[in-house]
Amino acid sequence: MSEHVVVAPLVVALVTAILTLGTRRYPRGQRAVSLLGIGAYAVAVLALASRVVPLGVLTGSGGTTETLTYQVSNWPAPFGISLVADALSAFMLVLAVAVVVPALVFSALYVEEFAQRVSYHSLFHFMLAGVTGAFLTGDIFNLFVWFEVMLMPSYVLVVFYGRAEHTRAALQYTVLNLLGSAVMLVAIGGIYATVGTLNMADIARRLAHAGEFGIDPAPVLGLGAILFAVFALKAGIVPFQFWVPAAYRAAPAPIAAVMAGVTKKVGIYAIIRLLFTVFGTATVGGGLAPARIAEGLGFGMAGKSFLGLFGPVLFLMAIGSILLGGLGAVSRNDLDDILAYSSIGQVGFIVLALALAATGPQAVRTAGLIAALVYSLNHAIAKSALFLISGTVYEAVGSIRFDALGGLSTRRPILASSFFLGGIALVGIPPLTGFFGKLLVFDTAGKAIVAGEPFAGVALIVALAGAVLTIAYVSRAWNRAFWGSPSDPVTRSYQPTALVAVVAAFVLLVAVLGIGFDPVYRAAEAAAHAATDRTEYVEAVAPEVIG
Amino acid sequence: MSSEPRPTDGDTTVIARTITRVVVPIIMLVAIALLLQGHNLPGGGFIAGVLTVTGFALIYVIYGLRYVEQELLHRTVVPRSLPISEGAAETDVDPPIIKEFGEIFTVGLALAAASGIVAMALGFPFLSQGVWFLAGVPLYGHMEVASALAFDLGVYLVVVGGLLTILAVVGAE
Amino acid sequence: MSAVTVGTPTILLASTSAGSEAGQPQVVLAIVLGLLFALGTFLVLRKDVVRVVWGVTIISQAANVYLVTMGGLRGAVPIISHGGAHGEVTDPLVQALVLTAIVIGFGTTAFALVLTYRVYEEHGTIDLTEVSGR
Repeated sequence: MSEHVVVAPLVVALVTAILTLGTRRYPRGQRAVSLLGIGAYAVAVLALASRVVPLGVLTGSGGTTETLTYQVSNWPAPFGISLVADALSAFMLVLAVAVVVPALVFSALYVEEFAQRVSYHSLFHFMLAGVTGAFLTGDIFNLFVWFEVMLMPSYVLVVFYGRAEHTRAALQYTVLNLLGSAVMLVAIGGIYATVGTLNMADIARRLAHAGEFGIDPAPVLGLGAILFAVFALKAGIVPFQFWVPAAYRAAPAPIAAVMAGVTKKVGIYAIIRLLFTVFGTATVGGGLAPARIAEGLGFGMAGKSFLGLFGPVLFLMAIGSILLGGLGAVSRNDLDDILAYSSIGQVGFIVLALALAATGPQAVRTAGLIAALVYSLNHAIAKSALFLISGTVYEAVGSIRFDALGGLSTRRPILASSFFLGGIALVGIPPLTGFFGKLLVFDTAGKAIVAGEPFAGVALIVALAGAVLTIAYVSRAWNRAFWGSPSDPVTRSYQPTALVAVVAAFVLLVAVLGIGFDPVYRAAEAAAHAATDRTEYVEAVAPEVIG
Repeated sequence: MSSEPRPTDGDTTVIARTITRVVVPIIMLVAIALLLQGHNLPGGGFIAGVLTVTGFALIYVIYGLRYVEQELLHRTVVPRSLPISEGAAETDVDPPIIKEFGEIFTVGLALAAASGIVAMALGFPFLSQGVWFLAGVPLYGHMEVASALAFDLGVYLVVVGGLLTILAVVGAE
Repeated sequence: MSAVTVGTPTILLASTSAGSEAGQPQVVLAIVLGLLFALGTFLVLRKDVVRVVWGVTIISQAANVYLVTMGGLRGAVPIISHGGAHGEVTDPLVQALVLTAIVIGFGTTAFALVLTYRVYEEHGTIDLTEVSGR
């Protein structure tokens, strides 16, 4: 029961946040504590991940994944708050580590001295604690709390550490997310009233045997849709994407990197957890009056699974995101803008894989989830690296607008090649991880076509269009900013050596993971199985049967 | 909290001043009572902290910021143009009093976290709480000491420190 | 009422949603909630930053009231009996949830007000249409 390895990443992040707050008077000490803290966090996460997904699973030499649980303050499930670490949580945590470690090292060199001293480091670690909590929690209200813990520091970081002209964007970001939180609270309250529990494992079990527990699942479908909308807002999927470009532009580069790389993935993770683990086997009963009316009108919902009903919605949102993100990115003249729109489009690919997974048979479902997870990992690393590169360009040249840039490749070759590597990882050129991400999405669409799914053909076409758009905007950014003859500001630019070293090392990760792709694929496979294997999840948490 | 604390010396009435004088000690006492019983009765660190700050806010409003600074705390708050805790300020040195509020905040946070970690050190899950029953205490006879009190005290300090910082910074404008 | 075994949330809720005599306070609260959400939405749509912050605050308070309502307003048998004797209690879980939500809402409101102040300081106005954004 009391395996502290599950809670360790959370405690490490919290303690580091407090220590950095306490050492404000000693800037060097504070920075040292912060960097040591992130190191300890990485160790804690890797220790947890190696318990959950043993090395044997990664190398393919056998071994089984485990699901560890932890009852905070010793209250049994479903009364107390459970922390659950399964392969999916572990995968997402490792993804977070891959992004936050370089982002924090970059911040220590990039963010202004005074701003760092005031509270940058503690805010960063609080945000990290929120992300960790959201990945680990097995309780839906606790998920809300961790979302808030994650968002509150991000408001402050966007508002007060961004450039002054972005106050309006920051205000929009804050108000929008506050409204999202209120709506999430409403959905959670409704789910508690209908299902009678907040423990995710317990909800999954009760919905799977709705009749035995006397639950009408139809209201849960609607409340789940509200919850889904909130998660989509956090993940920035069309039609909830409008805050993304302004907020990413407003945030300082390392924070934009963490937001695009990690907090977006928290939204994706929550969608996967909610739809595939919690609602995985739920079906709509025929009892509810509106359902009966709908039946009469010819589009009945009775007997359909939640996943089957969410699938088309996911599909439309994915198509919207891919097209809007891609077309938006092609028409921008600012590095950060392109990256922000591109991250809308890239999340679209992830959601597309999830949509195919939601409607398809089991084989397609697993393939879709694997594709979504691999794509998430690639996007997290490549996009964060690109945001950091954009920050480095700003530091070196003083602008990230295309009319001021040009010819960076001759002046700053290492920076330029880092951008090139990150860019082609987004495009998906082998042997980078991006290639496997795209390949798996196309593969899923192919499998879905074979399985005779109606939308699969459209999905394939949209994914192709999205890939073409990705090539277009990446090559355009490359042409405008890095090729050609050096512009005046570029000739006058200086070389931020340490920053360039950090981003170059970071972006190499895309190549390293792509060349050694087998373990990544096996980890994603284990995570996909964990996401769909409800019995193991429920048994690991083992909530007491009540009612 | 919603009222704007301004140096209002001169335009508060004798009635308001006298009532404040009587009411503030009562507020503080209630706050302490809520803090102490919070582990198993209505109350707790958060509400006790809010109540304490309410008491301070009342003094701010009725007696003015200058009075609190000079008479009660013997410190000054330099008027500044931007909130410090959120950075981007031109001044490089925090006014002493705000620094101390910030320290209260940090200590509270550390206390709350430590109360959870102690449980881990003793082999229980994070944030586990316990209670000791003490018999034969003079005057009280029987007493319960709940470990949750440490957590509550931490929350109390966080709330007091955080709110007083906001009050002092915004009030100083 | 059939809640004679262990007072679980499910039974609690089943009893509140089924019993017609229990419906009265819920109906009143439903109307209040509707008004609160409407008022909050109206305020959020204004162009004055202070009003927007008020609107967000009202909506999050409305969500809290909604949570309390969801727990059911009738009483039921407590989950853990303290020393054998007990009366009827309302569902304690939603109250714990609401307390948490209030604390979070408190923090965000304080932050939103500081933010408003900052907007005013930087742009000299609290009218969102006049606050220039790129």
